[in-house]
Amino acid sequence: MEIYLPIAQMSVHWLIILSMGFVVGFLSGVFGVGGGFLLTPVLIFYGIPPGVAVATTASQIAGVTFSGVLTHWKRHSVDFKMGAVMIASGLVGSAIGVWLFAVLRRMGQAEFAISACYVVLLGTVGAIMLNESLRSFIARREGRSGYGRKPGQHHWLHGLPFKMRFRQSRLYISAIPPLVLGLIVGILSAVLGVGGAFVMVPAMIYLLRMPTNVVVGTSMLQVLFVSASSTILHAVDNFTVDVVLALVLILGGVFGVQFGVRAGAKLRGEELRLLMALLVLAVAVGLFYQLVVRPEDVYSLAAGSP
Amino acid sequence: MRTALLALVLLAAPALAEENLTSMLSQDYLQITSNFNGSEITVFGAVENPSEHGIGNIVVVVRGPDTLMTVRRKDHIAGMWINSARAKLWLPSYYFIASNAPLGAIASSDTLSRYELGLSNLRADMVASDGDGAPYQAALVRAEQRAGLYRENPAGVETQNTAFRVHVPIPAAVPRGSYNVEVYIFRDGNVVSAQSTPFYVDQSGFERRLFEFAHDKPLYYGVATVLMGILLGWASTFFFRRK
Repeated sequence: MEIYLPIAQMSVHWLIILSMGFVVGFLSGVFGVGGGFLLTPVLIFYGIPPGVAVATTASQIAGVTFSGVLTHWKRHSVDFKMGAVMIASGLVGSAIGVWLFAVLRRMGQAEFAISACYVVLLGTVGAIMLNESLRSFIARREGRSGYGRKPGQHHWLHGLPFKMRFRQSRLYISAIPPLVLGLIVGILSAVLGVGGAFVMVPAMIYLLRMPTNVVVGTSMLQVLFVSASSTILHAVDNFTVDVVLALVLILGGVFGVQFGVRAGAKLRGEELRLLMALLVLAVAVGLFYQLVVRPEDVYSLAAGSP
Repeated sequence: MRTALLALVLLAAPALAEENLTSMLSQDYLQITSNFNGSEITVFGAVENPSEHGIGNIVVVVRGPDTLMTVRRKDHIAGMWINSARAKLWLPSYYFIASNAPLGAIASSDTLSRYELGLSNLRADMVASDGDGAPYQAALVRAEQRAGLYRENPAGVETQNTAFRVHVPIPAAVPRGSYNVEVYIFRDGNVVSAQSTPFYVDQSGFERRLFEFAHDKPLYYGVATVLMGILLGWASTFFFRRK
């Protein structure tokens, strides 16, 4: 059965959209990431205008993340102080991102910018993750413990001013790195329709050196607020949030996540990271291919114009 | 210009010939509902007092509201295909033309282009960033044909004695707005009679209210969307806990 999307002003097959939500939710349940980086390209590929895809994915992320935040809150694995710092700059970032998106759209470069950013980001993050997981794979085979926090090790980040104490993370570090990280993730959320966990989680582990048990909960808290803000700002500035599309995606997504979490519990951490790295790289390669191969028609009618 | 011509024909037609044209639509209001999957409108009519040669050639044109559309051209820049030039064109968002013979056999290309009959005869107000707008317009027509919004059917008018009938396909992606159905009777390459009837396409109550809500009160709409998502996400945890 077809359903009509009132904002995108097009009809879509609701089962296809529901299964997109489910599959992406399942993957995010397995890997513990929001899955926006998969959902946005898939929606664009299906024919949803990029603006609507980005803005609506942001609302889907907010919906799917909320239950995760509750779970982590109950387990006391959320660093609220760190979260607050990163939310503050994340909200600023999302406002910058929504403005940037409107400018890019007027220039006709939104689609290219989205694809190019995805290629660079997913390519880099995927390569780092692949490298990391292969090394810990080899290390485990040789009987050494994988990576971990090496106490006493100093980093140039520790020389920065405005130090704050984050009790939950057992850290005494400058507020600048979390602020910058939150800002970047906020911009990414608004421009690319991603939660940004695939950037934030590695950065929190390797740069901020937060203990892994609070990383996921804290990043989810930040993602919840930032994607909610991106959704609202896109609705106000660009009129691109489609509530019917969001509804179907969230329905598919929340069920997908539950099944994904169960499936994920059966897989080992290293295997998960390796699979995740391969998935991220595959999306990057696919998008890069679309950029370099000659399009069927070099002319294109801007969707949803003007 | 085109409208003025049509008005002129409408006024002059009875004087030109004895033939009188009556046409009607199966419906003058089409509603897009949540399960809208495309539809069809039937145009039917009759020619009164036809000449001894039969009812002549009939051309039926359906035009949707004119909109400003942007067509972009990708160029190979630094190994990648990037949008580099664009044209903005005012063209109908929907165009369907049916006739009972190929257009070329009905009238001269001058006449066809004067009445904007046929996909190659659409006139657009346009600005192209690289000067020549023609390839952009051709690309737009191609894209709209793929989307089912532009269509030419040279065998689309069914005739029986003095009556005729046309099925107008309305695809799912049809834009909202005011549409116009124009019926022309041609004889010896000239328009001898013409009639124009409007119909409207609109979203049904629920879709329309959502659309208006999103545009009139975008802040509340955005907040409501987020809250809906959060509530759904939260509700799902209860659902799964019970299992």
